[in-house]
Amino acid sequence: MTATTQTAKTVVAKRAAKPKASDAAKRENRTGWAFMAPFGILFALVFILPIIWAIYSSFFRQVTVGGGAYGGGELVNKFVGLQNFQYVVTSGNFWAGVGRVVIYTLVQVPIMIIGALVLAMLIDSYIVKHITAFRLSYFLPYAIPGVVASIIWVYLYNGQISPLVKMLAAIGIKVDFFADNVVLASMANITTWTFTGYNMLIFLAALQAIPHDLYEAARIDGANGFQIAMRIKLPNVRAAALLAMLLSIVGTIQLFNEPQVMAISDPSISKSYTPMMMALNTSQGTLTPGGDGPASAVAIVMALIAGVLAVVYTLVERKVNAE
Amino acid sequence: MVSHNKRLVAALAAVAAMGMGLAGCGSDTAGTDNGGSSDGGKVTITYMHRLPDSEGMTLVKDIVAKWNKEHPDIQVTATKFDGKASEMIKKLETDVKSGEAPDLAQVGYAELPEVFTKGMLQDVSQYADQYKDHYAAGPFSLAQVGGKTYGLPQDTGPLVYFYNKAEFDKLGITEVPQTESDFIEAAKKAAAAGKYIMSYQPDEAGNMISGLAGASGGWYKVDGDSWVVNTETDGSKATADFYQQLLDAKAVTTNPRWDPSFDASIKNGQLIGTVAAAWEAPLFITSSGGTGAGEWQVTQLGDWFGNAGKTGPDGGSAVAVLKSSKHPKEAMEFLDWFNTQVPDLVSQGLVPAATTEDAKTPSDWSNFFSKQDIMKEFKDANNNMGDFTYMPGFSAVVAKMNETAAKASDGSGKVADVFSEAQTTSVDTLKNLGLSVKE
Repeated sequence: MTATTQTAKTVVAKRAAKPKASDAAKRENRTGWAFMAPFGILFALVFILPIIWAIYSSFFRQVTVGGGAYGGGELVNKFVGLQNFQYVVTSGNFWAGVGRVVIYTLVQVPIMIIGALVLAMLIDSYIVKHITAFRLSYFLPYAIPGVVASIIWVYLYNGQISPLVKMLAAIGIKVDFFADNVVLASMANITTWTFTGYNMLIFLAALQAIPHDLYEAARIDGANGFQIAMRIKLPNVRAAALLAMLLSIVGTIQLFNEPQVMAISDPSISKSYTPMMMALNTSQGTLTPGGDGPASAVAIVMALIAGVLAVVYTLVERKVNAE
Repeated sequence: MVSHNKRLVAALAAVAAMGMGLAGCGSDTAGTDNGGSSDGGKVTITYMHRLPDSEGMTLVKDIVAKWNKEHPDIQVTATKFDGKASEMIKKLETDVKSGEAPDLAQVGYAELPEVFTKGMLQDVSQYADQYKDHYAAGPFSLAQVGGKTYGLPQDTGPLVYFYNKAEFDKLGITEVPQTESDFIEAAKKAAAAGKYIMSYQPDEAGNMISGLAGASGGWYKVDGDSWVVNTETDGSKATADFYQQLLDAKAVTTNPRWDPSFDASIKNGQLIGTVAAAWEAPLFITSSGGTGAGEWQVTQLGDWFGNAGKTGPDGGSAVAVLKSSKHPKEAMEFLDWFNTQVPDLVSQGLVPAATTEDAKTPSDWSNFFSKQDIMKEFKDANNNMGDFTYMPGFSAVVAKMNETAAKASDGSGKVADVFSEAQTTSVDTLKNLGLSVKE
């Protein structure tokens, strides 16, 4: 933004008296940076700097020196080159965790996005009255913090105290929400419950931006409501869908709250259940090798994987869109 | 409920810690001023603890206020850490590095070697010796690493057996069975009536099962400068066998200790007997919601784990002097006073390590536990505890044991796996810390 306005200004300035205008441009430049500063400084401080620090520390391991059974009472940072990365890349636990979040993403994200789209279409159609009430109630779960949502659901999943489980049992369905092959779906359900309303809002905003004369034209051409939805609304929310998918993919790859909270009720959810849990527990030393070095390596490798996935998704989407 | 809420808080804290981890900066300001400010001879000591501090207890800040009133020159600020031990250690580790750590911090005996290895402790042997006879010898040695003292013991956590006498009588089990086979027989009988006289707690396996197995002999021994690790001792095998038989017979509950379902199992009268650490007494009373009040009793462990009448440790803490403290002498002076405030510490649910005063059973405990002097039972258990040395990095072993134990509870694994996993994790952890292991 600033760059383009600035070049535009310089072009204009060149036509007029040269030195004076360049002063103005400089001033404008300064103003621009001043406006940027609050964001820029914080961004550098809490985002860029920690990333650089994480990359730096990922080349070290914390080990004892001084011999003896307990070491010398001091951990030192030992430069280990790429050993931490080698550990992460060859760790079965890490890839099992990646596998879990990938499956999770592949199943949960489409269900949630389609659900959100359907809800948005319904609200946007003329069938539904009291739109505000519906919009609010769909969005409400998002207002509940992720950890709190997980805690609520843990109670609902708990085989011995849950009204939900008892109700299902009463009609003959016996479920164990914590069974090894079900637990991931139980987590996905929490995420879906929380974020469907949020994604619905994205779609709703896109739907309401569609000019209404398109609908009128379609009606005159004899299209019914369903055809309008499929032929006009759907193609017009594609950009919104891309955004929602991308945000969701990035979000689910960082899966943490749900398994962390559910591990209270199901201790078989391991400390390395998802890569993010693995990073935290490695840094706390409840996984070995522990410490900040290996933990940073886990986080960096995962960030790279997430980045690659996001880029691949965008490229595929673009290609599909171009056709 | 209290205990469960605590877990929730712990979960919240974990998520918060995750955020901090990502932001790469783990220090917050929670009132932990450096302790270095000494104007006009006045010294400020900061102390971080994880005591329950619940309703009805003598609050830590009130105990500390008493000290502050009498000692204008040594002013103490106590901060409570809400969260798990591993999270507190991570915080302290960061704070010690940045020089912002408190002078004193509560450290579990199982974590003390680890915290020492991580370079967070200060050698206070020269100040500790004068306080030595205020404490039982066993706990005092647990505040030491390699012969040097790093703090003073606060409480101990011997394992005992809680059971509902009235329910036992109803089932025709007139006495707590003392042998393994008798116990399993009784457990099956109880299970047939929908009652359980033992709980298998996967989320406490690392702490509790290691203690049960350790009753008959420790896992970690130091030979010269190397560790000798054997987590698959006869005691471990007996413990695995005991729980495996109960699990196979479905004669044991498998609710995790800190899950609401555990509390529910006491409240609805299903669970009528369990192994518990001494410090669990007030938590257990809360968990029960009053079910069976006046009917529960405490007794010593039977010979169920090849333990020949011995018991083992589960929890218990020392308070250690951290490396960054500038006033170790004053810190130790306060610490000795604090750790000998026996009635106040008892109110926090502790079995104090101090021997300066006789700990008395609080009345609400004895009301719940059949007017029994349960503090005496705890002390007896304490005097009957097997020797168990913890290795640095034990928290990684605990985590692995818990996860493996959970697999045994749904039948996808065996209890014996808990001990074989403990072996490999122990050896890996020591090696990754750069310590030598004899295999």
